[in-house]
Amino acid sequence: MNPAKVRTEVAGTVWKIVAAKGASLAAGETILIIESMKMEIPIEAPRACTLSEILVSEGDVLREDDVVALIA
Amino acid sequence: MGWEKEVEALRERQRLAKQMGGSERLERQRAGGKLNVRERVEQLLDPDSFIEVGSIAGKSSYDEAGNLVSLAPASLVIGRGKIAGRNVVVAGDDFTIRGGTNEGSIRDKLTRVETMAADLRLPLIRLVDGSGGGGSAGMMDKDGHSRVPGYLGWDLVTANLNTVPVIGMALGSTAGLGSARVCASHYSVMVKDTSQLFVAGPPVVNRLGAHQFEKNELGGSQIHTRNGAIDDEAESEADAFARARKFLSYLPPSVFELPPRSEKRDDPKRNVGWLIEAIPREDRKVYKMRPIVEAVVDAGSFFEIGRFWGRGVITGFARLDGWPVAILASDPMHYGGAWTADASRKVARFTQLAQLFHLPIVHLADIPGFLVGLDAEKTAAIRHGVAALTAIQQTTVPWCAIIVRKAYGVAAAGHSNQSRYSVRYCWPSMRAGSLPLEGGIEAAFRKDIEASPDPQARIAELRERLQRLGSPFRTLEAFAYDEMIDPRETRALLCEFANLVAPLREPGRSTFGYFPI
Repeated sequence: MNPAKVRTEVAGTVWKIVAAKGASLAAGETILIIESMKMEIPIEAPRACTLSEILVSEGDVLREDDVVALIA
Repeated sequence: MGWEKEVEALRERQRLAKQMGGSERLERQRAGGKLNVRERVEQLLDPDSFIEVGSIAGKSSYDEAGNLVSLAPASLVIGRGKIAGRNVVVAGDDFTIRGGTNEGSIRDKLTRVETMAADLRLPLIRLVDGSGGGGSAGMMDKDGHSRVPGYLGWDLVTANLNTVPVIGMALGSTAGLGSARVCASHYSVMVKDTSQLFVAGPPVVNRLGAHQFEKNELGGSQIHTRNGAIDDEAESEADAFARARKFLSYLPPSVFELPPRSEKRDDPKRNVGWLIEAIPREDRKVYKMRPIVEAVVDAGSFFEIGRFWGRGVITGFARLDGWPVAILASDPMHYGGAWTADASRKVARFTQLAQLFHLPIVHLADIPGFLVGLDAEKTAAIRHGVAALTAIQQTTVPWCAIIVRKAYGVAAAGHSNQSRYSVRYCWPSMRAGSLPLEGGIEAAFRKDIEASPDPQARIAELRERLQRLGSPFRTLEAFAYDEMIDPRETRALLCEFANLVAPLREPGRSTFGYFPI
């Protein structure tokens, strides 16, 4: 399967990277957490996948629809 | 001798009309992954229920002896039929006839079907595929003059928005007037990959700039179900029809009747014990609202509308002890449930829909306020928010609000209709106020803090004091809110609400007009 892009639906700051590159994730498992409106909002794996790449670092400021990770 | 010969002549014309645009064009339609208009009507409706109107309307030609030589049907198929045994009216574009444009249509069919739905007081489903009766350069050539834009029948379209449920389905490339006919509805759906919605499609747009758009890139469902132009995305045409059927199942046939109660029931006292743990105790942690909604309504009855846009708010129909209701719920996974401009538009649109068809509204609210920041200001969050709050205050349908967590700021005033009695509950996790403490303390006690030798310590001191005051028990002891409930009692109380207010639902026209915001 081609790598798919995982995007953030909310603007905010990357608060914590939870999953490691190369990890096998179940659908709904948290990849990273964004702080937005003072809440910790998880970005989750949209399906069972392998986390190919994390494209952001903790502290990065994101806009809506920014790509944060690639999954395969 | 009777009139058999004429009946045979009628049947012959109907056979010709059913050939639509001919085998070549039908094959092209099929190759594009699309059903033709007659297959669509058949799949949408109950088997053998379609009764066509204007079945032989079209362009006919005769020889000198008066014998029929050919009959090209109009590019719009109209009639009535049944969905789950209830009558509906259908209008389907035939893309195989001049691409569903005006050249192949008989305009009176377009207005006739709108009138039929209005006067028979029946839901109308528009199966749109093409520009749906709009003009074209070809028209101008034929007419020998240009036309000042107008839409014959838009008065009927507008009136129907206040009278009967209208569903707009984009089932192919829809542009201009076709797109408008989809959006002038109470529920719109488009099919992933095989349908597009444009003001104007790639042939027009690609002449304007360097970028050459592919049609899905310009007007696919990934755009229009995220921006609110269209409510929902379907995986296939069959899925789109299933959604249309489901949508109608919660509604009356017109505003002049009440939404029907379902025979299928679910135990109002069904165990929903896990709800005691549904809201995290840590303020910053979010949770998933959809499972909470699913838990409190009748099993399997939640039908979400508009999942991919205005995502801070979840909207949909459901049943409580069989009674159809409208559900509004916050989604903290999206900006903590803050009302963005889109979320407010969604609330306004959905609230009007509930009002129009007499559905009591249940609001599971967790509203930290309007979204703040530059994006919120640029998108006029406050203006759209006012539209939502105004729609809420104008409703006359019964309301039940449950504040499950936050209720802050002007937006949170939309948790219920405060112009009259609403049933109002909160969960023990409620935190309410004009402004969240973060930021709110600095704003309200600026002088106090500045005068302090240790401003940070003073802020901490104030926060601790106000946090104690923020306990929901103090709010309820002051009767500043109605009642706190055990989250595990929520389903039973919502069912009690649905039964309580069922007799209060009143058929008839809404006190304010539906606006397809």
